[in-house]
Amino acid sequence: MKIRALNKRKTPIVVINKSLDKMADKILFPDKIKKANQVLKTVGLPKEKLAK
Amino acid sequence: MNHDKYQLEADRKLLIFEFTSIGSKGRVKKIVQYSETNLKEFFNLGFGDKDDKTGEINDAVITNNGDSQKVLATVASTVYAFTDKYPNAWIYIQGSTKVRTRLYRMGITNNLQEIRKDFNLYGLKEDKWVEFRLNTEYQAFLIQRKK
Repeated sequence: MKIRALNKRKTPIVVINKSLDKMADKILFPDKIKKANQVLKTVGLPKEKLAK
Repeated sequence: MNHDKYQLEADRKLLIFEFTSIGSKGRVKKIVQYSETNLKEFFNLGFGDKDDKTGEINDAVITNNGDSQKVLATVASTVYAFTDKYPNAWIYIQGSTKVRTRLYRMGITNNLQEIRKDFNLYGLKEDKWVEFRLNTEYQAFLIQRKK
């Protein structure tokens, strides 16, 4: 596949790097998770979507 | 999102993505992390710079590497890779600052047609999820891949 075609793909080609596995279980952005959980708790999910 | 993108590396679960921004300030490692929250299949998208020497992650730094379009396009492409593997996932996106959240909104706005083909997209406004509309400020964004 040529570079231009690669750039137009929506799903990227991802190289698996096993050394990143150890990071996957760590929370790297704890403040963001806290905010997301807070929004989940107070706002929840979009109502019209859940109703479908 | 037909912009140029950086080559991505990821862990085997496709929860961590890493790429290197190359620009006027040199090479800067970037990390994208999808972390599950208290609700199953509801993930937070975290994005920041990784200091290769200390391993520390900073999501507040402004890199100014002159490649913000390419960086945003690369982060957006991780959403496709992630939702290919986790098609039911909800992804919560909020910048570390208001300015960064606005930058994400600009990125969404510039690619809205394309995004709407593939995702349901919501904005958080006055503590309610509403359908994303142009020229509106939001506190955060929520997306889910269309079936």
